[in-house]
Amino acid sequence: MMPGKVLNVSVAHLSATVLLFSLLVGLSALIGLERQPRQFRTDPPVAAALNQLRLMPSGIGGAPPEIYFALDRPYEASAYDLSQGKRLYSWFGCASCHGDGRGGAGPSLLDGWWSYGPSVVAIAASIRDGRPRGMPAFHNRMTTDQIWQLAGYVKTIGAYSASLAAPSRNDDKHTRPAENRAPAAILFHEDLPAQPRSEQGPPP
Amino acid sequence: MTEDRKQSSLMDDGLDDAELDWHLLKSWETPRGIWKVIATVDHKIIARRYIVTAFVFLILGGMLAVAMRIQLARPEARILDPDRYNQIFTMHGSTMMFLFAVPVMQAMALYLVPLMVGTRNIAFPRLNAFSYWIILAGGLLLWISFALDAAPDIGWFAYVPLSGPEYGSGKRADIWAQMITFTELSALAVAVEIVVTVFKQRAPGMSLDRIPLLVWSMLVMAFIVIMAMPAIVFASSTLILDRLVETQFYNPAAGGDALLWQHLFWFFGHPEVYIIFLPAAGMVSTIVATFSRRAIFGYLPLVMAFIATGILAFGLWVHHMFVVGLPRLGESFFTASSMAIAVPAGIQIFCWLATLWLGRPVFATPLLFVIGFIVTFVIGGLTGVMVASVPFDTQVHDTYFVVAHFHYVLVGGAVFPLLGAIYYWFPKMTGRMMSERLGRWAFGLIFVGFNLTFFPMHILGLLGMPRRVYTYQPDLPWGGLNLFISLSALLLVSGFLVFLIDVLVAWRSGEPAGPNPWKAATLEWATSSPPPAYNFRRIPVVDARDPLWRYPEELAVTAGLRVDRRELIVSSVVEALPEARESSPRDSIWPFWAAIATSIMLIGSIFTPWAVVWGSIPIAVTLVGWFWPKGTAEDIS
Repeated sequence: MMPGKVLNVSVAHLSATVLLFSLLVGLSALIGLERQPRQFRTDPPVAAALNQLRLMPSGIGGAPPEIYFALDRPYEASAYDLSQGKRLYSWFGCASCHGDGRGGAGPSLLDGWWSYGPSVVAIAASIRDGRPRGMPAFHNRMTTDQIWQLAGYVKTIGAYSASLAAPSRNDDKHTRPAENRAPAAILFHEDLPAQPRSEQGPPP
Repeated sequence: MTEDRKQSSLMDDGLDDAELDWHLLKSWETPRGIWKVIATVDHKIIARRYIVTAFVFLILGGMLAVAMRIQLARPEARILDPDRYNQIFTMHGSTMMFLFAVPVMQAMALYLVPLMVGTRNIAFPRLNAFSYWIILAGGLLLWISFALDAAPDIGWFAYVPLSGPEYGSGKRADIWAQMITFTELSALAVAVEIVVTVFKQRAPGMSLDRIPLLVWSMLVMAFIVIMAMPAIVFASSTLILDRLVETQFYNPAAGGDALLWQHLFWFFGHPEVYIIFLPAAGMVSTIVATFSRRAIFGYLPLVMAFIATGILAFGLWVHHMFVVGLPRLGESFFTASSMAIAVPAGIQIFCWLATLWLGRPVFATPLLFVIGFIVTFVIGGLTGVMVASVPFDTQVHDTYFVVAHFHYVLVGGAVFPLLGAIYYWFPKMTGRMMSERLGRWAFGLIFVGFNLTFFPMHILGLLGMPRRVYTYQPDLPWGGLNLFISLSALLLVSGFLVFLIDVLVAWRSGEPAGPNPWKAATLEWATSSPPPAYNFRRIPVVDARDPLWRYPEELAVTAGLRVDRRELIVSSVVEALPEARESSPRDSIWPFWAAIATSIMLIGSIFTPWAVVWGSIPIAVTLVGWFWPKGTAEDIS
């Protein structure tokens, strides 16, 4: 047996393996840097910029603030923000009017019919400033971050195409399938936009 | 068995030593070349890989600990954000428990058990190769997810509902659960190999009462693994089912039970502590005997204490759950059982002390680490008895007191003996001695650094500092102690650096060791350092507990094994009477491919349940390749 020779071979193999390992982890770190970090508190200047919603004069539709695109459309694409939005949906009592999403005293959020347009900025504006005929304003009760998280969640549950990112089911009794199952419209056979309800007054 | 096959085979009895070595090497050696090396089933090569991999994970986990200490050194630090901190403490715990502590202890068994019982390879050597690739894949999964900023952030125990579908958003908890699956697979595979090797492959004459204590401890550890791991297999599988296919195991609203998780996890998690500690106890017993220059005091009580620890280990998991609200009887029972485990631990400590007392101890580096172990482990054991009491535990639960306690038990009880064991067996594994001078420095720095780092955490805990917080406010009375702890941690790190330097230098250019540098008594020292691929030229015959002390000149050996193929002796369970000549599997690349196919299936199942269906096809293909009949007789009795 020649210990020296055998060892040098195994040292070479080991260092090659360690090198490969660090290469793999390093490569994924590069990808990881490109991913959106999970932030528990948005930087105040970013939050202030996100609060600059620009709506059309009618209040229907609008353009998100510049920073929304600079951040690469946050709040709609990360499972964390969506499940935070889902939590806010129950914490702030959205269900008391909108039910499990299928509507009640308020309109349904799953039928694909958006009274103020399907853009996330319109939904955020509805939550922040309220809307006529019963939708309260939440700007005194929620942070800008939370408003956007909730808006992102509300937008995805009513989407027609399944998204890669979705919150999962709650540990509750279920009245509807989880958001990550499939597009809402297929699940509830609500393929036609619901008719505007007369008790809500004329459509805007 | 036919007569002419016997005629054509080459037996070892008519050959002289040089011829015999040549033939054995030809049958057992791993040839050169990358594919040959991947295909190897030599237990020593695989164990060495395991050990190096585990130490790489120790370094990585240690770096995470340093990152946490830097963040906590002063109040309101902004070095790590809370999300990263959550990932880091989860990664630290998971890496240290699942990717370092358990694999490294099993790896020491993989290396030492076949040598200590006097056989030529571990039982099921291809399964052994498979287990290594599997744990490597699990480690890569966890660490690549960390680099991708998608690492688990749920603690190393992943309590539901935090890890469940409602609160554990993203794929983080799924990655944790499947990483656990990888480590379960590998640990169970190794445990089965150890049990079979110890029971059926011992050298003739090594009856149960002559097994070295390290082998006893590894045997008990293997049984604990076999009985504890199924609980976590069930737990991690049901967690991922809850998350992936909407089962409701942990959903109270649908008839599930969130506490079920804690029971399952700790039914595994508490024995896990002994999975790590028992091998260390075996190492301590070996080192103490060698350096006291006498046989171990109380062989029988020690073996009984190992077995008692292994049995009691399953009766005290609920003490991790004292604050969930238990019936009074449950609290009393688990308090009593938690304190009862101190009895076998005490027996072990006193046996080791008596051995030292009655012998003429030589305070070489391995023994220094054992002394460090006894001191730290006793402190950890004392705080263990404290937190076993419900009122005290209710007060300090989830504070740094508990952090201090389990670091004393785990680092004191496992890492100190392990480092001692590395110093002790390094000459056997590499043929070279580590430096005694650097060893003393490493021991001193690690021992002082460890105590200065972790002892103040007891006080922090009593001052009310909770675990798993990423920062604390400046007006809380914790700042000074935290800064002190962080500075002491640097001392601890420097100790580990000295150790690593010592390993690397010794590996390259240490003094040649010779077969038995410590004048030890067990069989692994009866062969050259490093051992040849076939371990022993001739399988020894054993009639004593300390064969090399009883027969320092020459050991009795067996003859009659074939040398033109891999063959070893199968012996009876109790008395180790030779029963059969058994062929040992040749190298095979299939375990490697099977591990890759299994990894693809497991990682795919994080994303879709269909991965289990389609992923099982490549696994089946690789298993067919693995088990393809060879056309040679397996055993000849």
